[in-house]
Amino acid sequence: MRRFLYVARGVGWRSIHNTLVSPAILLPSIIFPLFFLVAFAGGLSRLADVPSFHYAPGYTSFQYVFVFLQSAAFGGVFTGFAVARDFESGFARRLLLSAPRRSGIIAGYAIGALLRWLITGTVVTLAALIAGMNVDGTRTDLLGLLGLGILFNFVAALWGCGLAMFLRTEQAGAVIQMPVFVLLFLAPVYVPLPLLTGWIHDVARLNPATVVLEAARGLLAGSPVKFALALALLAGAAALLAIFARRGLASAERAG
Amino acid sequence: MSDGAAAIEVEELVREFRKGPRAVDGIDLAVSPGEIYGFLGPNGAGKSTTVLMLTTLLPPTSGRARVGGFDIVRQGSQVRSTIGAALQEAALDPILTAREHLLLQATLQGIGKAERKVRANALLERVGLTEAADRRVGGYSGGMKRRLDLALALVHGPRILFLDEPTTGLDPQSRAALWEEVARLAHDEGMTVFLTTQYLEEADVLADRVGIIDHGKIVAEGTPAQLKAEIGSPSVEVSPVDGGADELLAELLAGFGTPTHNGRGSVTVPLPGGEAQLAEIVRALDQADLHVASLQLHQPSLDDVFLAKTGRKLEGTAAETADEQPAPGARGRGRRRGR
Repeated sequence: MRRFLYVARGVGWRSIHNTLVSPAILLPSIIFPLFFLVAFAGGLSRLADVPSFHYAPGYTSFQYVFVFLQSAAFGGVFTGFAVARDFESGFARRLLLSAPRRSGIIAGYAIGALLRWLITGTVVTLAALIAGMNVDGTRTDLLGLLGLGILFNFVAALWGCGLAMFLRTEQAGAVIQMPVFVLLFLAPVYVPLPLLTGWIHDVARLNPATVVLEAARGLLAGSPVKFALALALLAGAAALLAIFARRGLASAERAG
Repeated sequence: MSDGAAAIEVEELVREFRKGPRAVDGIDLAVSPGEIYGFLGPNGAGKSTTVLMLTTLLPPTSGRARVGGFDIVRQGSQVRSTIGAALQEAALDPILTAREHLLLQATLQGIGKAERKVRANALLERVGLTEAADRRVGGYSGGMKRRLDLALALVHGPRILFLDEPTTGLDPQSRAALWEEVARLAHDEGMTVFLTTQYLEEADVLADRVGIIDHGKIVAEGTPAQLKAEIGSPSVEVSPVDGGADELLAELLAGFGTPTHNGRGSVTVPLPGGEAQLAEIVRALDQADLHVASLQLHQPSLDDVFLAKTGRKLEGTAAETADEQPAPGARGRGRRRGR
């Protein structure tokens, strides 16, 4: 266990170090969510006037939750890009050679993803507060919201790591990103689920991301809904994707 | 590892790549503690694949190997704690400094915080990178990267060191410095060194014992002196003025021994009767009116050992053989710094 922790600490340290000293890595992960927040919360704010739009804290808060979770997911996705880059540059081979417990490499990348997202999440939250976001949830609700974000980030990081380790090329970027993108945008992004109609409503209703999004919005509004279900879904996804990531690592080990 | 046991033991080790030939084809070898073992062969011979397996980066298809007393398949974690390795490509993170690389490597190996700094400083000093220690390695020269790579391999005090073509691309001064350091590690610190190279001089100067690998098989093994003694006799290399006359030349030289074409029109023939046969060859060339551009007498070298064991010279084989190494950025090289 001690060896596992040392490896995780080393890989995590490098991830966050490189993020902090390299604007090319840090800025995209901050700019994209900020852009979404400004574009959606600002440009679409009149959607709050639509009849049957019931979200007490307001449209900025409604959109903030989506951007918060989206930045968490993309924090994990960007980590997948970094893993693929490490394989292509050969640095991953150094990690495989140096790490007595190789499963610590996955944990290290996940720690890096989390720390990077905490920076992005803080910036997005500050921007939303400056833009007038209302927060009706209690401290406990907000801790729950943070917990959902952390789990969402973890799930996405495991997905990104696993797939990058299977494919071991930077060209894996699109394959890593696309399913996360589709999952997120087929949830009720702009309006609550009851206001969606047609096929998009049916898809959103079955989309597990909808549960997480609704639970997170409930927590910010101070009226939690489906929180336990969202936690269970994310925990289940994390368990499955941890196996997937370990298999990705085994595939990389076999390939040399 | 018990006292007296080999540091590296390999039995019938095989690695096959999908849709490819056997890169490593059932090799056996044993390296004693504190020994420098030179693994010599052209590109594509199976040297790097062997190192990848012994360093647990590539699982073998069959066979078994123990490194530092640990099985490379079942005890990979212990093997990695026991060894240091500098592979062909010094895979470094261009964003990190040399000091940060060393601290990261020490962390991965489970070394405590205070000790990490001490070791990093000592190794930076030893490889002459103290002044450049806090610069990003993206701006380092090839030689500096190689030196850092060696320092990284040593950070946790390994008992066994794998060096995969460590001097490729280095200038003569850096090469000599690295040879000196490798010799010091083995002779002063008792470290076992497994060194792959395609440079005959490197194997000759550094290695206590040499294994010659070709097409995945070990074709000769022994100390450089033993291997050269096996060949016994000197040889003569004759280059005709007319490059197209090599067939005629070979026919003429066949009367003295089995001639070998070296490319560029020259032909080599062994002289079982020693240097005295040189005069006979000159007379035969004169009688045949075959004009000679150069005629060189060679004492037995590792290249001659390679020639005798494989029927080819090490020089030029790189161009004939694709590199088997599945590593990113694997390069083809065909130079020889032979004698």
